Amino acid sequence: MTSLRSRLCLAFRLALRELRGGLSGFYIFLACIALGTAAIAAVNSVSRSITDSIASEGRTLLAADVRFELNNREATPQELAYVQSLGDVAISTGLRSMARLPGGADQGLVEVKAVDDIYPLYGTFETNEGGALWPLLARHEDGRYGAVAAPLLLDRLGLKVGDEVLLGNARLAIAATVKSEPDAISEGFGFAPRLIVSREALTASGLMQTGSLVEHVYKVRLKAGSPPAAGIQQDAAQKFPDAGWSIRASDRAAPALSDNVTRFSQFLTLVGLTALIVGGVGVANAVRAFLDSKRTTIATFKCLGAPAFVVVAIYLFQILLIALAGIGIGLVVGALAPMAVAPFLAGFLPISAAPAIYPGPLALAALFGLLTTLAFAILPLGHAREVPATALFREQGFEPTRLPSWPYLLATGIILAALAALVILTAFDRFVAAVFLAAVAFGFVLLRLVAVLVAAIARRSPRVNSPALRLAIGNIHRPGALTSSVVLSLGLGLALLVTLTLIDGNLRRELTGNLPERAPNFFFVDIQGSEVEGFRRIVSQQAPEGKITEVPMLRGRILAFNGQDVTKMDVPPNGRWVLRGDRGITYSEALPENAKLTAGEWWAPDYDGEPLVSFSAEEAGELGLKIGDTVTVNVLGRSLTARIANLRQVEWESLSINFVMVFSPNTFKGAPHAWLATLTDATATPAQEAAILKAVTNAYPTITSVRVKDALEIVDKLVGQLATAIRAAAAVALVASVLVLAGALAAGNRARTHDAVILKTLGATRAMLIRAFSYEYMILGLATAVFALFAGGVSAWYVVSRIMKLPSVFLADVAVTTLVIALVMTVGIGLAGTWRVLGQKAAPVLREL
Amino acid sequence: MTKTIIELKKADLTLGRDAASVHVLKSMDLSIDEGEAVGIVGPSGSGKSTLLMVLAGLERLDRGEIHIRNTPLHRLGEDALADFRGRNIGIVFQSFHLIANMTALENVAVPLELANVRNPFDIARRELQSVGLGERLSHYPGQLSGGEQQRVAIARALAPSPAVLIADEPTGNLDTETGRQIADLLFSKQQERGMTLVLVTHDISLAARCSRQIRVRSGEIAGDSRNQPAEQAAFA
Repeated sequence: MTSLRSRLCLAFRLALRELRGGLSGFYIFLACIALGTAAIAAVNSVSRSITDSIASEGRTLLAADVRFELNNREATPQELAYVQSLGDVAISTGLRSMARLPGGADQGLVEVKAVDDIYPLYGTFETNEGGALWPLLARHEDGRYGAVAAPLLLDRLGLKVGDEVLLGNARLAIAATVKSEPDAISEGFGFAPRLIVSREALTASGLMQTGSLVEHVYKVRLKAGSPPAAGIQQDAAQKFPDAGWSIRASDRAAPALSDNVTRFSQFLTLVGLTALIVGGVGVANAVRAFLDSKRTTIATFKCLGAPAFVVVAIYLFQILLIALAGIGIGLVVGALAPMAVAPFLAGFLPISAAPAIYPGPLALAALFGLLTTLAFAILPLGHAREVPATALFREQGFEPTRLPSWPYLLATGIILAALAALVILTAFDRFVAAVFLAAVAFGFVLLRLVAVLVAAIARRSPRVNSPALRLAIGNIHRPGALTSSVVLSLGLGLALLVTLTLIDGNLRRELTGNLPERAPNFFFVDIQGSEVEGFRRIVSQQAPEGKITEVPMLRGRILAFNGQDVTKMDVPPNGRWVLRGDRGITYSEALPENAKLTAGEWWAPDYDGEPLVSFSAEEAGELGLKIGDTVTVNVLGRSLTARIANLRQVEWESLSINFVMVFSPNTFKGAPHAWLATLTDATATPAQEAAILKAVTNAYPTITSVRVKDALEIVDKLVGQLATAIRAAAAVALVASVLVLAGALAAGNRARTHDAVILKTLGATRAMLIRAFSYEYMILGLATAVFALFAGGVSAWYVVSRIMKLPSVFLADVAVTTLVIALVMTVGIGLAGTWRVLGQKAAPVLREL
Repeated sequence: MTKTIIELKKADLTLGRDAASVHVLKSMDLSIDEGEAVGIVGPSGSGKSTLLMVLAGLERLDRGEIHIRNTPLHRLGEDALADFRGRNIGIVFQSFHLIANMTALENVAVPLELANVRNPFDIARRELQSVGLGERLSHYPGQLSGGEQQRVAIARALAPSPAVLIADEPTGNLDTETGRQIADLLFSKQQERGMTLVLVTHDISLAARCSRQIRVRSGEIAGDSRNQPAEQAAFA
């Protein structure tokens, strides 16, 4: 009995012998697999190089071994003594404020960081002018304090090194500009340019007042023999349960950045996977064409006594070997990607410049490439298995419309399930991955239906007078027509491009058009109770038509739900931001203007019972909270528990003052706090806005003013940068589409040569044939474009209106671009191949008939 | 005492479906003895090629039985049939059907490898030498003439030492002289090894070289005759 192993060995040997024929017909296959694998390998390798850099350079990025952060209050003497007992401590304070020119001619928002003499504990703070940081921050004899600013601030305010700038009540002299700040990434995303001062200068500025939004950070260089960071976190939480501090160790120096890089890379992986799946269509086409050309060899093997299993194994091995070559090319590109992009990302992301290969991401990409190949190759192999040995004696059809036998269907099903499982299990957000898979599957079904529909319409269309058009319509529905392969190869890539372009277009439209119109003009932060009246008066004078809204503003961190520690809860990704760090909270007698109660009732104005809280309905849903549950928050170092009285619908996208939690006023009776205000004036011109800013800043130097349009411009720029990466990934999918399309059309041209020669012998002119082929490609391109616009439009609408909760519109320029791309692709590539067909001499073809 | 090696009983086969169906074999009975050389002749569409495919175990009967070396082929599964064919039946085609990317030696070795025979390349080398292609072992089919390709195909068919050699128009794609040489080779090998040869041909003179001629018409045996030993000798 011949063992399975020896049969597989034999099949492998025969496969190698067969491969001597070269890779002709497999270049598209190779390119598709290489492209998709490269996209996935590159995205994940770059992402891993960033997250690994964050992990390996954690100490430098954190400028500490352990970082304790307190919001709006300094550490108590006991807390400070505890932190200092761990090792050397560098204390810094961060806040947002306004930097003004002396005389009040101009001002700008800055991210202030006040440091002490031992900052940074790890890494080096570098200035463009050189020299150590601390001496640059020293107090001058004239009472000014030294400051180091980001070059952007100097550009904005027209300053140069040596000039003076005001911060609150303090006068600063710009001593140098920032070149690199080691712990910038771990401090979070800054909306404004950095301004480094000494802690003494910050005290002199008078910006640290009751209720000011201030971060006090205590960075520790641990003593030798200290317990591990995790132990310190636990110990600190036990010793100071009400401290409400956020403790981060150097092994997770920038968790938000790491999460965002991972999340974004997994989104790009899905786009890369689309390229791979589109390429899979090319794989299926290539495998089908290859096996079709091997019919006589397959029949010969069978005649010579090869069991069907061996025949299938011979071709499976060949396909796998070619796929492995494609995967290998993709992996090389993917492995080199981190080194290639390092110079571009080095400016704003920590990316390891040292050459490194990341086996994990490469293995994942290889697995995706392999599974995709198998998923698309098994069914054609199943058809090949059915090739009868009698094919050597009698010409008979392949009958590709018949399904292969059940083991092949089952194998394809299992591989598809494995591919889906891999996508979902490796995704940051599994729901999004599942939706993506469902959309791709639905897209395939829909594309198939579109192809069937186009063919059916062509079949039933009335006879037209133009012979070229008649020929084109006939070509669309005849057996072996290109309809299905063209629609399938171009449709998915084009639909993805439409989806991403529409999402990007809608988002940019909101950021640059709709949002600034609806949103307030200004946010004013850190208004002291004593300043509210004066502030209101100044703003009313400057913007008589404007609407001013003021609310009390406190910061609090959620500690527990129903007494259960939130750090030990499994929270879905969409709800995690609520628990991350401190949140702005407020109290109110009445339901906020822009909110709607969805459950429960609002408290009476004079309510004085158990503390109550109104929770945002959507976030409550994400966190699994309901009316009657309790929420424990830490505010100003005090823990307090309130019961959820009602749920509110919050329109976050309005950019108005919105809070996840609004407490009953009695909860914070007597607690010191500042106020937050907005000014909405749709008629204000940029000059008026500048005047408002100037007036408020000059009158109240400690109030921080944020112009919403400036913030939106920053977000728009960021979205633009992300969109570039997304477009690059989508372009890979489109390139895969073009490759597959070119392959499908090339395969069709072989049959077309025969038709063209026969038609030419019957009197058809070249011009007539070109017209006929053009009409055919145009009809197919048009059908594909319509599908892409429909599928892309629906997907984009879902993402924009359901996930982003923004108004979604269909953008006409996207429709036009899609149509143009589809027609250029189909007619261009189609005719490029057909040109050769038309030049074919009749005699050699006729001799073969 | 001769022994039956191939036996067809009430063999019935229809090809195609519905309106396109053709009743190719009509309840055919046939038995062929060991060592016989049988030429099957008949007009196009008579069913002779189909009969050959049935005899080679390549086509399944709708009804009836086929036994080769007492093995009921009609009861075997696809893989068992392939295995049986590999060990017992050699096939020579009109279009040679060599595997383009394999050398002459590898082509001949394939059935031996599939049958898991020891030293397949040694046997293949001997077979190629025996058909006069000892110098052409490393040549690919594209580098060989039509006659040489058919010799390789014959060597490949003979390599597993089959009891039955089936040939479908073996000289159909060759010029007269080369065709004669190939026919000589086939008959000499058949006699040398005492195999049963079943040959389908349009060439009456080629069929006449067989010890027995079967005429097929409309799926039925229309004539079955045997040459006298003297006639055979004259054609040899």
